[in-house]
Amino acid sequence: MTLAAVDYVILALYFAFVLGIGWKLRKGVSSSGDFLLSGRAVPVWITSLAFIAANLGAQELIGMAASGAKYGIMTAHFYWLGAIPAMLFMGIFMMPFYYGSRARSVPEYLKLRFDEKTRAFNAFTFAVMTIFSSGISMYALGLLLKLVLGWNFTTSVLCSAAIVLAYTFLGGLTSAIYNEVLQFLLIVLGFAPLAIMAVLKAGGWQGIVQRLPQNMTHAWRYMASASENPMHVELFGMVAGLGFVLSFGYWCTNFLVVQRAMAADSMSAARRTPLIGTLPKMMLPFIVIVPGLAAVALSQMDLGYSLPLKAGGVKDYDQVLTTLMAKFYPAGMLGVGLTGLMASFMSGMAGNVTAFNTVWTYDIYQSYIRPGAPDRHYLTVGRVTTIVGVLLSIGAAYVATRYNNIMDLLQLVFGCVNAPLFATFLLGMFWKRTTAHGAFAGLTCGTAAAVLTLSLTVAEGKGGWFGTLYEFRSQMAQNFWIAIIAFGTCFLVTALITLITTPRPDNEMVGLVYGLTKVPHDHTAKWYQRPAPLTVIVVIMLLILNIWFR
Amino acid sequence: MDLRVPSGSFFSLLGLILLGMGIFAPDTRAAFTTANVNLYCGVCMLAFGLFLLLLAWRASRSNS
Repeated sequence: MTLAAVDYVILALYFAFVLGIGWKLRKGVSSSGDFLLSGRAVPVWITSLAFIAANLGAQELIGMAASGAKYGIMTAHFYWLGAIPAMLFMGIFMMPFYYGSRARSVPEYLKLRFDEKTRAFNAFTFAVMTIFSSGISMYALGLLLKLVLGWNFTTSVLCSAAIVLAYTFLGGLTSAIYNEVLQFLLIVLGFAPLAIMAVLKAGGWQGIVQRLPQNMTHAWRYMASASENPMHVELFGMVAGLGFVLSFGYWCTNFLVVQRAMAADSMSAARRTPLIGTLPKMMLPFIVIVPGLAAVALSQMDLGYSLPLKAGGVKDYDQVLTTLMAKFYPAGMLGVGLTGLMASFMSGMAGNVTAFNTVWTYDIYQSYIRPGAPDRHYLTVGRVTTIVGVLLSIGAAYVATRYNNIMDLLQLVFGCVNAPLFATFLLGMFWKRTTAHGAFAGLTCGTAAAVLTLSLTVAEGKGGWFGTLYEFRSQMAQNFWIAIIAFGTCFLVTALITLITTPRPDNEMVGLVYGLTKVPHDHTAKWYQRPAPLTVIVVIMLLILNIWFR
Repeated sequence: MDLRVPSGSFFSLLGLILLGMGIFAPDTRAAFTTANVNLYCGVCMLAFGLFLLLLAWRASRSNS
C-alpha cells in the first residue's frame, strides 16, 4: 500500500486539529482537579462518546476485524452479550455510588468503602494494567504501519506517542476526552464506507451467508457445544465468562471508562453516560466486525483477493482491515482510513495515560508518597506523570513484541485484574455487611486464582508453566474460564471472611452502599433522559440484534 | 469550548479535500470498486461537518 500526497495532507490536518484542541484547552487547567478530573464539567453527549471511544483503541479496531474473519459473527458477543448489558448495569446500579461518593477514582472508592490496603492493591494493579494496555495499543499500531506502509516501527511509535503526550500534557483529561470524541467520529466516518463497500461487493449479507460456513454467520445456533463453533467455547463459558464476569468487570470497574462518566457535570448525566453510550456501541460491530466476515467471503470469490498470510503460510488476521482498505479506498479516502487507524490508537493510548495519571497522582503519590502538599504540587505531579506514563507505555510496547495475538493477551490481563474486582464491587456495593478484610482477602485470592489457573492449564500452547491439569480447546475458552474462576474465588473468599469479621457501622457507609444511599430523582429530566425508558429501548434493540443474527 | 466547532471544521475541511479529489481527479479509483469513492465520501463528510457547525451556531445564538 502506498500513500499519495493527499493522504499525508489529511493525516497532517488531523494532527493539527488534535494538537489545536489541546492548545485551546490548556487555559482551562488551573488545578489538579481540572487536569485529572476535567473539573466534572463535561457535557453528557461528549462523555458518552468518550466512554466508548476510550475503549476503541487500535487493538480493538484491528482485533475485531481479525476476530470477525477468524470466528465470524460470534465476535459480536463482545458487544451484544458483553458490553451493552454491562454498560446498562453500570449506568443504572453502579454510577450512583461512584458519583455520589465523590470519590475521584475507582481505587479511591475502594478506600472509602473498605480500607487503605484494598485501595493500594487496586491502584497498583490498575496502574500496571493501563501501562500494558497502552503499550499494546502502541505496538499494534507500530507493527501495522511497518507491515502496511513500510514505516519504521520505532519512528511511528515515537511520533504518535509524542502527539498523544503533547495534547494530554496541555489540556489533561478534558483534552483527552474531547479528542476521543473527534477520534470516534473519524473512526466511524472513516470505516463505515469500507464496511458498506466490502459487504456490497461480497453480495450483501446473503452473499456472505452463502459463502461462509454456517457457524460463522450465526452467533447463537452453534453455541451448544464447544467443538461446533469457531471460538471453541461452550455456552456456559461464553455467557458466564464473557457475558458476565469479563464484560461487567471491564465496563463497571475499569477506571479507564468509569473516569469518563465521572467527568460528567451532574449525577443524572453521569448515569446517562454509559446508557447513551450503548446506542453507538451497539452498532459498532457493523463497522468493525462485519468487514472481517466480508473479507473471508471476498477471498472465496474470483477477485484475486486472498486473506493475508504471515511468513510460513499462517493466516495473518490482523492485516485483514488494512488489506481491505487497500482494495476499496483510493488515494484520499485511504488517507482518511489510515488517519482513522491512528485516531483509534491515540484514543486508546490517551485513555490509558489519563487514567494512569489520576490513579498515580491521587491514589499512589498523594496517598503514600507525599500527602498534604498544596494542589499546585499535584498538578505538576500530574503533568510529569503524563510524561512518565507515555515512556512506560513505550517500554511496554517493546515487551508486547514477544506476543503475537494482542487481543488474547489483553483479555488475559483483564481476567487477572478486572474479573476478581467485579466480585468485590458487587458485594461491596450491594451487601452492606461486606468487610474490608473480606474484600482484601477476596481480591488477592481471586487474582492469585487467575494466575494459578493460567499456570496450570494449556490452550494453543500458552500457559501451563507449573504443569497441565486441563487443556482448553482455545485461548478464548481459557481466558473466559480464568475469569470465571477468579470471580468465583473472590466472591466466595470475600463472603466467608466477611462473615467472621466485624462489619462497619451503617452511618460510615452512607453514599457508598445500596440501601444506605438515596439515589436522587432528576425531576427536570425529560422522559427520554431518564434511565428506565432509555434502558427499555436499548434492551429491545439488543434483543432484536441477537435474534436477527442468532 | 464547544467541541462541535473544531469537529465541524475538521470534517468540513476533510470533506472539501475529498470532494476536490472526487471532482478534479475522478479517475483515482481503488482496485475493487468503480465508484467515485472520494466524491461520495466527501459529500457526506462535508454535510456532517456543516451540520455540526450549524448546531454549534444555533447553540451560541440561543446562549447570547
